[in-house]
Formats: sequence, C-alpha cells, structure tokens
Amino acid sequence: MKLISLLDHLAATPASTSAAPRRAVLAQLGRAAAAALPLALSALPATAATQDSTQDAVLQLLQLERLQAALYTQALAATGLIPAAQTADFQRLLAHQTQHITFLTQTLQGAGSVVPATPTFDFSGRRNVTANPELFPAVFTNYDNFLALAQQIEDFGVRLYKNHVFNVLSDYRLNGAVLRMQSVEAQHSAHVRGLRRSRGATVSNWPSEKDTAIARPAAAQALTTAATGGEANVAQPVSTTATLPTASIFLVRDNTAIQDPALAEAFDEPITSAVAQAALNLFF
Amino acid sequence: MSDTLQPLHTPIKRRSFFQYAGATAGATALALAGCSKDSDPAAIVPVSSISLGTGDVGMLNYAYALEQLEAAFYAQVVKTPAADFLSGELAYFTQIATHEAIHRDFLKTAISGAGGSLLPTLTPIFTSINFSSRASVLNAAKTFEDLGVAAYNGAGVLLKSQTYLTIAGQIVSVEARHAALIRDLLSPGSFADDNQVDATGLDKQMTPTDVIAAAQPFITEKLDASSVGK
Repeated sequence: MKLISLLDHLAATPASTSAAPRRAVLAQLGRAAAAALPLALSALPATAATQDSTQDAVLQLLQLERLQAALYTQALAATGLIPAAQTADFQRLLAHQTQHITFLTQTLQGAGSVVPATPTFDFSGRRNVTANPELFPAVFTNYDNFLALAQQIEDFGVRLYKNHVFNVLSDYRLNGAVLRMQSVEAQHSAHVRGLRRSRGATVSNWPSEKDTAIARPAAAQALTTAATGGEANVAQPVSTTATLPTASIFLVRDNTAIQDPALAEAFDEPITSAVAQAALNLFF
Repeated sequence: MSDTLQPLHTPIKRRSFFQYAGATAGATALALAGCSKDSDPAAIVPVSSISLGTGDVGMLNYAYALEQLEAAFYAQVVKTPAADFLSGELAYFTQIATHEAIHRDFLKTAISGAGGSLLPTLTPIFTSINFSSRASVLNAAKTFEDLGVAAYNGAGVLLKSQTYLTIAGQIVSVEARHAALIRDLLSPGSFADDNQVDATGLDKQMTPTDVIAAAQPFITEKLDASSVGK
C-alpha cells in the first residue's frame, strides 16, 4: 500500500516538462502504478481480493482476450471446421478480440507496465501436459464442440468485463472502453448462441434456464461456473442497501408470485476475478 | 406474454408529476391551464420540456425513458404481430418484450428507491413503424436496440453510484444480446458490424442529449437530457 501511495503521490506531483507524459499515464492507471512491482507479483491471480487494482483488471482482461483470439485463430486455421458461410463471422470475432488486445496492451505500455508474454493456450483442457485428461474434446474437429466452447468463453468474457468495470473507475477513458468492450462480447455471445440454435441446440441468445446445459466433466466446472454460474439470480440491487426481489414483485397475479425465466434473463450477472482466473487456468 | 406484466405503480399523480418536473414546468402548465384563447398572445409560453433531472437520478430516468419506449414498442409488436414473421420470430419478440418490461419496471422501482422524482409514463409515437411488416418492425427494433446499447455505454462513465453502474452493466449486455439477435434476423451475420463497433473494437457510445434527440421523434413528451449525469 505504501508503495502505491507513493506512486500515486508522485503521479500528482508537478514534475519537469519532459516527465509530463509519464505523470499522465501514472495518473491514468491510478492504483495500477504498481507497475513498479515485480511482474511475478502483479501476475498472481487475484484470490481473496474483492477489489483488484486497475492493473490487475487490465492484465486479466488481456489474458481473456488472448484466450479468445487464440481460440478463433486456431479454429479458422482448422481445415473443414467452420462452414464457409460462417467464416466471415469468426473473422469478425477475431478482429474484435485482436483490437481489444491492442487496446489493453497499449494501456499497459502507456503506464510503463510490463506486458506479460502470451501463454501457449491448450483448448483440450490438458494444460499443455499430454498425460492430463482431456476436458474439451474435438474442439477443432467438431463444429458443435467448438461452438459450445466459444459460447462459454464469450459468456465468461461478458461477465468478467462486468466485474472489472468497477476496478477501472479511476480512469474515465478506460472505464468507458471496458463498458464498450463488454457489449461487443455480449454481441459475440448472442451470435454464437444463435449459431448453435440454428444447428439444433436448445439455447437462447442470452443465458436462460431454458437452455440445455453444456455437458462438461467435473474438472471443467470452473468454466461452466464462469460462463453461467449464478445467472439464475433474480434479486437485483435497487439501492446501495436494498435488492429488489423481482420474482415477488414483477409477476404477481392473483396474489401469487409467478416464476418466469425472463426475470433472470433480463439481467446478466458479473463474476469475480477469482472465478474468472480458475476458468482461465484451464487453458494453459 | 408482456401483457401479463402489470405496471408496478398506479399512473403517476398530477401532483407528483409537478414535483418531478420541477417548479418551471409546473408553473408553465398551470399558466397554460389558466390561459384562454382570448388571452394576450404574448402570454403563451412554448410547450416546456420535461427535464430528466440531474446526477444519478437523471441517469435512471434517462434509462427509464428508453426502456419505456422499447417496452411499448415490443408490446405493440407482440399485440399485432406482422403476418410475414418467420417461424419462431414472434417467440423472440415475446421474450424481448418481457425483458424490456422488466427493465422498465425495475428502473421505475430503483428511481423510487433512490428517492428520486420519477419520469411520468411517456406516450410513444410509432406512426413511422408499420407493425404489419416484418422488415419495418425489425428495422425499428434495430434502431431501438442499437440506440439502447450506445446509450448505456455512454452513460456508464457518468454514473456516480456503483450500485447503478452495476445495474447499467447488467442491463446493457442483455440489450447488446437483443441487438445482435435483431441484426442477425435482419441479415444473418450483421451482428456487431462496422456500423456499431469502431476500428478499435469498441462498441458505439452516445451522450444522453444525442440519444434523446434520436429517440424524441418516437416520444410525445418533449424530453430534456441536458442535465443528466451532471
């Protein structure tokens, strides 16, 4: 904390003209001035922390975007996987993820932070160890398997952005960008869900209790949790101290509260960085 | 489906509307009410606009205005479905109509919870939409959904309360999902295209005043978003 306070202080202290850009980016990343911390420390998964630093948030989002870009890069390179009619769709997804990687990388660099190397992603769930059990079979040979994984990773992405909005509040520009990347991820998810439905899956364009769950082995539960765990929630906050138990208020007929899947569908839910990291860790 | 969703509150009472609209609008309305056609023309005041308010309550009223518009639109779509809807499309519209009605009623409750002055129920103008035409309905839906996403994206940075930022974040991604579905129904693969997402991969955002200017042709009441978020 003291180091961060010092850096924040430095960021706010007038310096020579030549130092101005440096001061600006320090101010920009706010608490993430922890750029001075060793990479090994800053790259630790956020565990118990309920609030991450701005840098933690940007680093984790970068990891997510790199995972998504790798998924689509490998899928587009896999002969015969993606039908010709959908090639452009996945090229668009890849383009967006690549743009997000550029944005997040530049944000880190602008703050003088070290950008970690891209890990070697393994979409089988074996974590680059052949002896490990396969969690996600035939991702690049079976289109339905690929789409199912893409849907889970996109949903997971929407929910992680939702969390990290709160960790970049000190930076107006970054705050706006995180919101705007989130809604791009949501459109990706909705599209992938639509593609799955067109191939016979029971799935809506939004997480719904009516969706048929994607079957995964227990060891892959972290991904399912990150993608849709808690989406059934229907109690949303209406003030700093109160939540609205929507089920009991919105659909009251004949004095009976009526459960409707729409109550949960109407709100996407955030996930913590710890839940997200557990899912990310399945892939490298 | 959507007509099973009853509004949470009785229609707003005149007195509370005046409280909401503030002294200016109230005084203007009273002045107008007191005018007869024989009055001095100089005394006739232009129809005053309804300010959405300031700060976070202004933001909530702003979102409430948009959700009212969307909910009313989809309710009409479901009530008078176009004959040329393709199989399954009415079901999509029914689900979206329910989501928007929930957003509307949720925001209404949140505004009350915030102790804020609530925007009155708006009177939509849908004369430019041909509800018997699938294409017209889908194009209008695309307009509303894209506008909604851009509005929430522009609003997020103006919100002061983390609670309301949570709400906005939880709603905007559902709106984005709607937008992608509607776009794909209009033209498969047109989700998140270059009209909506810029060259840096960021979704469109708009200021409250720009959004309200775009929405105003669909709303009878004149809305003023100039102090929203300030």
